[in-house]
Amino acid sequence: MRLKYLGGVYPTTFKENTRRKPIVPLEPAPKQVIIPLVMCTDGGAVPVVKVGDKVTVGQVIAQPEDRGVYVHASVSGTVSDIGTYPHPWGGTGEAIVIDNDFQDTPCPNLPEPMDWSKMNREEVIRRIIEAGITSMGGGASATHLRLKRAVGKVDTLIVNAAESEPYLTSDYRLLLEKGDQILEGTQMLARFLRAKRAVLVVSGDKLNAVEFLERRIKKRDPSAVELVTLRTRYPMGMERLLVRMVTGREVPPGQTALDLNCAVFNVATVYTTRLALLKGQPVTHRTVTVSGGAVARPRNLWVPIGTPLKCLLEAAGGLREESPCMLTNGPMSGTIQETLEAPVVKNTKGLVCLSQQEHDPVTQPETVCVRCGHCVSVCPMNLNPAFVYRAVRMGEVERLKGLHLADCLDCGCCSYICPSHIPLLELVRQAKTIPTQGGEKG
Amino acid sequence: MKPTIQRMSPQIAQVSTLSATMLDVIVALVPALLMGVYLFGLRVLLVTAVSVGTCVLSEYLYRRLRGMSNTIGDLSACVSGLLLAMSLPVTAPLWAPVLGGVFAMIVVKQFYGGIGRNFMNPALAGRVLLTTFPGLMTSWVDAFHHTNLSGQADALSSATPMALMHDGILPDLSLGQMLMGQHGGAMGAAPSLMLIAGGLYLIARRVISPRSPFAFLATVAVLTFLFPRGGNSNLSWMMCQLLNGGVLMGAFFMASDYATTPVTPRGQTLFGIGCGALTVLLRYYGSYPDGVGWAILTMNCCVWILDRLGTPRRFGMGRFAATRMKLQAMKASLSEIRFVKPEFRLFARAGAGTMPGEGYLDELQVKLKELVSYGGVLLAVAVMVFAVHRSTDYATVLAENEAQQALLSQVMPQATIRSETPYYDQRALSITAGYNESQLIGYCVEVQSHGFGGVITAVVGVNTNGEVTGVAITDHKETLNKGTLAMDSDYLAQYIGKSGTIRHEGSNSIDAISGATETCEAITDCVNQALAIVAGLDTSMDVPYTDGEV
Repeated sequence: MRLKYLGGVYPTTFKENTRRKPIVPLEPAPKQVIIPLVMCTDGGAVPVVKVGDKVTVGQVIAQPEDRGVYVHASVSGTVSDIGTYPHPWGGTGEAIVIDNDFQDTPCPNLPEPMDWSKMNREEVIRRIIEAGITSMGGGASATHLRLKRAVGKVDTLIVNAAESEPYLTSDYRLLLEKGDQILEGTQMLARFLRAKRAVLVVSGDKLNAVEFLERRIKKRDPSAVELVTLRTRYPMGMERLLVRMVTGREVPPGQTALDLNCAVFNVATVYTTRLALLKGQPVTHRTVTVSGGAVARPRNLWVPIGTPLKCLLEAAGGLREESPCMLTNGPMSGTIQETLEAPVVKNTKGLVCLSQQEHDPVTQPETVCVRCGHCVSVCPMNLNPAFVYRAVRMGEVERLKGLHLADCLDCGCCSYICPSHIPLLELVRQAKTIPTQGGEKG
Repeated sequence: MKPTIQRMSPQIAQVSTLSATMLDVIVALVPALLMGVYLFGLRVLLVTAVSVGTCVLSEYLYRRLRGMSNTIGDLSACVSGLLLAMSLPVTAPLWAPVLGGVFAMIVVKQFYGGIGRNFMNPALAGRVLLTTFPGLMTSWVDAFHHTNLSGQADALSSATPMALMHDGILPDLSLGQMLMGQHGGAMGAAPSLMLIAGGLYLIARRVISPRSPFAFLATVAVLTFLFPRGGNSNLSWMMCQLLNGGVLMGAFFMASDYATTPVTPRGQTLFGIGCGALTVLLRYYGSYPDGVGWAILTMNCCVWILDRLGTPRRFGMGRFAATRMKLQAMKASLSEIRFVKPEFRLFARAGAGTMPGEGYLDELQVKLKELVSYGGVLLAVAVMVFAVHRSTDYATVLAENEAQQALLSQVMPQATIRSETPYYDQRALSITAGYNESQLIGYCVEVQSHGFGGVITAVVGVNTNGEVTGVAITDHKETLNKGTLAMDSDYLAQYIGKSGTIRHEGSNSIDAISGATETCEAITDCVNQALAIVAGLDTSMDVPYTDGEV
C-alpha cells in the first residue's frame, strides 16, 4: 500500500479554534429559513407546497424533476414565499421560504424505523432518495445515483473523514460524537455495495478521534472497518488522491474512482445515510463549523438546512473585527460570500470569516514568476502551472496542448504556495476554456 | 497588457514573498561570510560591500533609466552581489567586483528581462567573466594571512588545494581544516561547514528543494570516489574534492537558483547530475583547477530541455503508457521536419541584353562580391580562431618557452634571458642576444652548414669577447651512431672558449671524431661562421631598441 502522492501543501490548520467545541444546536433558531430547490448537482426539484401552507420538520416540500432528490422542510412553520434568493454556490436560485413557528413539530408521516439488513436494494435506494441525501462534503452529487452505479462493482469503500481544509472541524466533531453511528453506517454501506474492504480515512490532525474510533472498532467487529490515518496535508479529500493513498492505484485520466473498483463517500453522508435507512429521517440539519480569525466565538453548530449564514454568525457571537473575506467551505477551495444572505445547503461544511491578518498574504501584489518550481512540486496531479503561466501570459496558446489541464482538481495549491502571489489557479481555469489546436481530450 | 484576473480561491496563502525568500538566502550566506572575515581579514567586508553596492546600484539605475519598475526591494541583487563577492579571492582589486557586478546585473540579468527571466546565474557569469583576466583568479591568499584593506597580503599561498589536486596531489589538510576553510581559496567558498549549514538551513526552510544540490554533490562524490587520481585513496580523494573549491557553494547556492534551474522535479535532479558530472570532467581534464562555474553555466543553458525531459508523469498514467505517449509525441514532432531540396540557381536574376551573356554580368559581379565578403569573413574568423587558439593554448606556449630556455642554457649558460636583436646578417638565420640580470653576455647565432647527410642547423653562443660559450645542434640529417656521435655534449664542449677561426688541424683546432669527420667539419664551419658574424656585427649602430622578454 502506498499512502503517498506527490505534492500537497501544509497550511496552518487553525483547527484549534473549534476542535474542543461540541456540536450544539443553533441558538437562537432562525426566524426564517430559505431552502433552495437546487441542492444537488444532478438535478433540481419542483415545489409541492404553496405559499401559506403549514409545514412540519421533515415534510417534503419539493420533489425531484428527474434525477434529483427530495427537499424537506427543516423547521416547522408557514411557507411565506417561493421566489428567487441568493444561493451559497454563487448567484441566485429559486427557493422556498418558511417562517419558523419555533415549535419544531415533527412530521407525522415519516417512514417507519426498520431493520436495514432485511431491506432489498430498491428499498434502500428509495429511502435514500426520499431522505434527500446528497454528498455532504464538497460536491453535492446525489448519493443514490452513486450507489446505484457502484453496487457490485466495488471492492473498496472509502469513507472520507480527512477534512484537510483549514478551520473546518465539523467532520472531526461528528467522528467524536457519533463515532459508533458512523462505523455502523460504514458497515451498512459496505454491505450494501458488497465491498470487501471498508476504509475510514482520517488525517493526522484528528488523533483524538482516531484513538476513540480504534477503541470502538476493537470493541465492535475489528475486521469490519479499517482505520487509515494519513499525514495532514491539503488536499486530501479529493477522490482521486484518496484512492491513490488507500489502494495505491491511480485513477487514469478521463475515468473515475469507480473504474478502479473504489467508491468514496463523505463521513457526513455516511452518517445521514444511516439515519435515513435506520430511522427514516430525512436530511434536515447538518453540522457547520463557524470559524476564522474574525469570528468572536468560533463553534460547531447543528444547523437546519436553509438557515441564512448571518444567523450562524450571530450564534457565534458575531464578528470581532471587520472580515475582508467570508467563505463557505473553507478558505482553500471555498466560495466567497459577499453578503451572508445565502442559506446553508446540504454541502455547507463551514462558514469561515478570515481576519485581516489571515487574509493579508492573498492581497499582496502579483509579481513576476521567478521559476522557483514550487507550484510544480506541490501539484497533486503532476501538472505544471509555471508553464501554464508562461503560455497564457505570452499568448502562446498552442503550448497549452500537452499540459493536461483537464486533470486539474482546482485544489489551489499552486496559488497558495506561489511566492510571487500569482493567481495560478485562475490562470489554469482560464486556460482550460481556451480551445487548443488538435483539441486534446481528457 | 496583462489580463487581470480576480483571485477566487484559495483565499489564504503562504506568507512568504520573494524578498523574504531572498532574505533567507542572505541569512544562509552570512556564517560563511563571517568565517571569511575571520580567515582572510576585514578586506572581505570591503570587497563584499563594493560588490553588493555595485549590483544593487546597477540594477536600480538600469531600471530607472529604462523607466521600468524598481525591483531592488526583492533583494535578489543583494544575493547576486554577495555570491559574486564570496567567489572572489580576497586580494581581488576593487574594480573586479564592480566589473563583475555590472556585467552580472545588466548584461546577464536585466537585458533578459530581470528577475526570473535570465537564463544564466548572474553572479556566476560575472565571476567567470573575471576568471578570464589573468592573474586575478590565481593569486589566492592563505588563511590567517590577514590582508589589509588595500589588498596587500603578507604572504601568498604557494598553491591552493584545487591547484594541487589538479596535478593529482592530495593537499596536506586535515578534515577539520577543510571544513573550516583554513586554506587558500575564495573568501566565501572556503569554509565548507558554514556553507553546508547554510544550505541545510535553506532546505529546512523549504526555500530550495534538495534535489539539485544533493544530486550535484552525490554525482561528484560517486565519480571522484570511483576514479581517484594520482594513486590516492578513494575516500580521502573524494572528501578533498567535495570540500575544496566551489562545489558546496555551487551546489547549495548556485545550482538551486530559481530562475536558472528547471522547474520540474525530475529536471532539477537531472540538472544536479549534469552539474556534478561536468564539474568532475572539467576538474580532471580542464586547464583550470576548478570547473564548478563552467559546469553550472553550461547546465544553465540546458534548462529548457531538462524541463521537458523532467515533466512529471501524468497522474493516472502508467509508466509504460507515459513513455509511449512521450515517444509518440516525439515521433509526431520529428515527422514535422521536412527536408526541402534547396533550389539552387546560380543566376537567378539574369536579365536580357544585346550581347550574348551580357545579362549575366551584373549578376556575376554581385555574386563575386558576395563570395569575396564571405571569404573575407571566413578568413578573419579562421585567423581569429587560430590566434586565440595559439595564444590560449597554454601548454604549447609553456613547452615552447621551456625548449627555448633549455637551448639557452646549453648555448650560453651564463645568460638567463634571451632577447631579440635588431641585427641582421645574410649568413645567419637569426641573431639573438643573451643577458644575465644586469648586462649583455653575448649573442646566440643560428647558422647552417652542409654536413654528411644534409643541412645542419646549429645555434652558437658567442660572448662579447668573441669566445664561444656553447654550441647546440637544433636540426640535422646525419646518420645515427656515426654522425650523431659528433653531437654529444663532450664533443661540443670542446668549442667552449675558442675564438678566432677554428682550424681542422694544428693550433686552435679540435679533435674530430673518427668516422664523422664531415659532420665535425660542418659543425666547426658553423662555429666559424658564427664567430665571424659576431666579430663583424656593427654594434655601434644607433638602433632604437627595447628590451623585451621572449
